[in-house]
Amino acid sequence: MAFDSLTDFFEMGRHGVYVWSVYGFSVVSLIFITWSTLSRRRHVQKTLRKRFQRDETI
Amino acid sequence: MTYLSFIKAEVLVLWRRKQNVFNALLFFLMVVILFPLGVNPSAEFLAPAADGIVWCATLLAVLMATESMFKEDYADGSLEQLIISGLSLPLLMLLKTTAQWLVVLLPLLLMMPLLAEMLYLPDGSFWVLIATLVIGSPSLFLIGAIGAALTVSLKQGAILVMLLILPFYLPVIIFATSAVRAAQLGLPYLGLLAILLAIFLLSLVIAPFMIAIAIKASTN
Amino acid sequence: MNWAWFHKLGSPKWFFHCSRPWALPLFIVGCVSLVVGLIWGLAFAPEDYQQGNSFRIIYIHVPVAMLAQSCYLALGVSGLVYLVWQMKIAPTFIKAVAPIGAVMALMALVSGAIWGKPTWGTWWVWDARLTSVLMLFLLYMGIIALQNSLTDLLLANKAVAVLSVVGLLNLPIIKYSVEWWNTLHQGATFTLTEKPAMPVEMWLPLLFSTIGLYCLVAGLALWRMQTEILAREHRSHWVKEEVMKHGL
Repeated sequence: MAFDSLTDFFEMGRHGVYVWSVYGFSVVSLIFITWSTLSRRRHVQKTLRKRFQRDETI
Repeated sequence: MTYLSFIKAEVLVLWRRKQNVFNALLFFLMVVILFPLGVNPSAEFLAPAADGIVWCATLLAVLMATESMFKEDYADGSLEQLIISGLSLPLLMLLKTTAQWLVVLLPLLLMMPLLAEMLYLPDGSFWVLIATLVIGSPSLFLIGAIGAALTVSLKQGAILVMLLILPFYLPVIIFATSAVRAAQLGLPYLGLLAILLAIFLLSLVIAPFMIAIAIKASTN
Repeated sequence: MNWAWFHKLGSPKWFFHCSRPWALPLFIVGCVSLVVGLIWGLAFAPEDYQQGNSFRIIYIHVPVAMLAQSCYLALGVSGLVYLVWQMKIAPTFIKAVAPIGAVMALMALVSGAIWGKPTWGTWWVWDARLTSVLMLFLLYMGIIALQNSLTDLLLANKAVAVLSVVGLLNLPIIKYSVEWWNTLHQGATFTLTEKPAMPVEMWLPLLFSTIGLYCLVAGLALWRMQTEILAREHRSHWVKEEVMKHGL
């Protein structure tokens, strides 16, 4: 561990705001792109399944 | 149809649609006028910025002019005729772009002495500015024509073309304005003109083929 | 030489079935490696003696910037592949990767700007690297905008491929011109001090987070491509079987 205490870790010697905002933004962006990928996947699967089921009943 | 008859028809069409070219030139003038009015009319600001202002206005005017260059041909079906004419489509597209270039650039160059005066362009850099316009603008037209061909099937394509194409104009404007500035400082500028020429040659090799692919895909 | 594998690669069905088992493992391995790299970099890597703790941003910034560029390279290459060989997979790849690349470029811009504040004293300088990443972001947005505005699938495929290829050819010129312009307008006062060699304990977490992000993006890209293939090939029989039997 490069820090003495937990508060040191969060403060990062006055640079905490910058470091943590970058990490926060990046995590949010990565979650966003993952979420959009998976939600589109679910959406396509749902619509296709509905369409195929409808085709079968006809 | 032959290449010669194509050129003849193209010149005739450009003459009939002269309002389009006229609009692009007026637009160019408007953008140039915005800078003194919007930023600062003093010679201290305008003189060092003149080349940049002229080039920014040129980029936008060229985009305006090229954006619609395939629209009417697409609507009336003459693009399809070009494809099945048996002539080389890339070459035809190159000829078309060249015609467009001549029609827009020549009046623009004629306006330059006046604008140079209005923008207090420093003495001695006028001819370098003209040279950068002559060497640099063909690349603008060739690249802009790619954007126009990609969006020809869309009704409202103008803003999309700007978004697609402006990043590609960046090197041209950088080297062109740098050449003018180098000339103002008495530094050698021929190397920069050579880079502009290289960008032009690269566009000349690639753009006609890309335009042809885009046109073919759009007319299917 | 046997080119059968190359042509097989162009078949959406073949690609779908081959890539299917890879997406989730790649994504998970990527996540784990990224998290290991980031926590290591945040908490255990030693402090930089010049920049203090703000250098820890490097563990995000560098991998993200590398991916932003690699994604564009991949887009350009697959555009070329599509224009030359008409391979059906290539446009799905472009459509899948362009938004990921845009997000990566945006992350590189934001992290660069935030890193700039403690290092240079301002959020934004017209630094060559920042400016060329901004251009890269605009190129990505152009591809996405073109993809979204063309409704005809075949035309969209071709158009986006053309734009990616033109972009790939132009990217070196744009980068070079921006670097040249930057040296013209400002001296070398604002450059990140490049040290000759990073110590291993600083460098190793960077390796982890970079490899992790590459794997994560590869997993995401595969998922997106598979989704796109199913949506595009919805008329073929194997898609029906696939959806009804397995789900996704």
